[in-house]
Amino acid sequence: MKEIPVLKRNIIVAIILAFVIALGIIAIQALPLHNGSQPSVSNQEDTLASKAAAAALEAFFHVDYRYEKDIWLNNVCAVSTPTGCQFISAGADLLWSKFQEARADVTATVTPQEKVAETATEQVWKMLIALSAPLPGSNKIQDTAYVAVIKTDNGWKFDRFLLEPEIKAILVRQTMTVTPVKEGK
Amino acid sequence: MKRFILFLTLLALLIPSTVYAQEQNPWGEVFDDNGNLRSDLVDLGVTTEHPDWMSVELPFGQSLNLDADYHRYQTANGNVVVLPSASTLFFMAMNPYESGLANSVGMMGNGYGGMITFLGAVAGNNIDWGRLSTDHPEYKNPDQFWGAVLNGQQDVWTYFSGWGFITTLLQMSWNDTALRTAYLMYLNGAQNCASIPGGCSGVVNPPPPQPKICPEPKVTIQQPTISIQKTAPSNPLVVGQDTENRRGADVQARVTIPPVIFTWYEPIYEDEEVCEPSTTVGGAPVCRTESVFKECREHVEHLPDAVASMQATAALDAASQAWITGKLGQTHYGAYIHQANFILIPGLGSWIGGCDGGGTCTATGQALKVPFADPGTFDLRLNVVTTGTRFMGIPITQPRQLSADGKLQVYVTLPALVP
Repeated sequence: MKEIPVLKRNIIVAIILAFVIALGIIAIQALPLHNGSQPSVSNQEDTLASKAAAAALEAFFHVDYRYEKDIWLNNVCAVSTPTGCQFISAGADLLWSKFQEARADVTATVTPQEKVAETATEQVWKMLIALSAPLPGSNKIQDTAYVAVIKTDNGWKFDRFLLEPEIKAILVRQTMTVTPVKEGK
Repeated sequence: MKRFILFLTLLALLIPSTVYAQEQNPWGEVFDDNGNLRSDLVDLGVTTEHPDWMSVELPFGQSLNLDADYHRYQTANGNVVVLPSASTLFFMAMNPYESGLANSVGMMGNGYGGMITFLGAVAGNNIDWGRLSTDHPEYKNPDQFWGAVLNGQQDVWTYFSGWGFITTLLQMSWNDTALRTAYLMYLNGAQNCASIPGGCSGVVNPPPPQPKICPEPKVTIQQPTISIQKTAPSNPLVVGQDTENRRGADVQARVTIPPVIFTWYEPIYEDEEVCEPSTTVGGAPVCRTESVFKECREHVEHLPDAVASMQATAALDAASQAWITGKLGQTHYGAYIHQANFILIPGLGSWIGGCDGGGTCTATGQALKVPFADPGTFDLRLNVVTTGTRFMGIPITQPRQLSADGKLQVYVTLPALVP
């Protein structure tokens, strides 16, 4: 039997290396799948859907009081479903008059944050909106929106902003689906 | 296709054919024995509001205020019937207390059964029934779930699995005003108008009810005359054999609608001085003026029921089609049907109509030189819809659908060998 001499220092180095590698593996597993600034876009459909949502929100929050309401509406409707266009148009009069009274001149930058729900032809996206200036009645220049987009014959189109109870229901459902995973670890 | 089925379902809900007037039932003040709106209803028109429960909160503190609109009628006893648009009704169902839905007597005829049917039709396909049955096994069927939603005991939003149907619903209510499906009754709504959907706009404060001393009004509907026929030429030839003129045939449609006779009675009162002997000996009699009923004055109104739309069609009958492709095809190889169906009015022709001073309405439609290219018998069909009648803003009769059939023969010249 052949005896292999190993220095005590090498044994210590090997133990430290093993410990560091184990820590690294645990840290990688513990990292979130995506961070807040990057969209959780898993495939091409998601990319197209989130782009449609972003385009619509940028059009919606691009407000220039010097223009007529119809110009603003046409820009929103161009990236919306026909029913989504009517949805916005239905409440547009009061909203636009408020923008004009306050002489709002705002542009928006929109970033998809997370796809929070979907069916075969519909997706709901959480979007981060950054405005160039506050809108009347608010001091915020950054906010989130939950919007529904629908796959049409002409690609993905914005349909509408979700209602408060719908958003709450989706958030509750997300919490309920995340909790069992933590318990299982 | 799904939208079409939905549309048919909602139309089926709209037809009040199973509703009959019942004096003990407040709905008896709304519909007559034939299921039509009663003539003594006061049409309050359409009222639009922007309630909080139809407001969509947007980012940055903004909001979209959607229209809640209702067509309302007031009954003779001061009850108010509210017909919300389809989208308004949906949001009312989602917010039964805030919207005042919970304060209504219920929908026409069958309480909230019709409401449950409405919700099932517009939103049933967008509920995650699997998850719902797992979370709430106590609901044995969808109706129990919708009932709990309407009672405010169940949050419906947790179980929606689709989102586009809400904007579709909004579009339907704007494009299809006929989709006003729910008749909601608010007892004493005229007196408590501040708390009913639509508020006090147009509500009439009813005068104190007077004893009925005159007969009920009467409505007499006379039969219209309606026809569709070929007018020229005597023997139309298929246009393929009339290469120079391509004359074709002229078709004329006519309808004459006699007036609806509405007879009503006005109580006539006269002031009379009524004197009673003085209670003191030798005193002057005590007199006062009283309004005394004298007679019921009869009024006869001739109400025009004008033509609202006219449609005429021609269709080659089955026997002629079989003759062309069968017998004619045997002697003239390659014979085929060129055009079996024509929309004559509106399309190839047009119509005009109007009413005279006596209330008789007529309409005439013509389609000239219709290029019939196939020999045989064409079935002519005329469909007319009237506007219905009103008197002093009150609907008296509902729109009528009238129809008539006719025949048109188109000829072809066939060569024959003569021995």
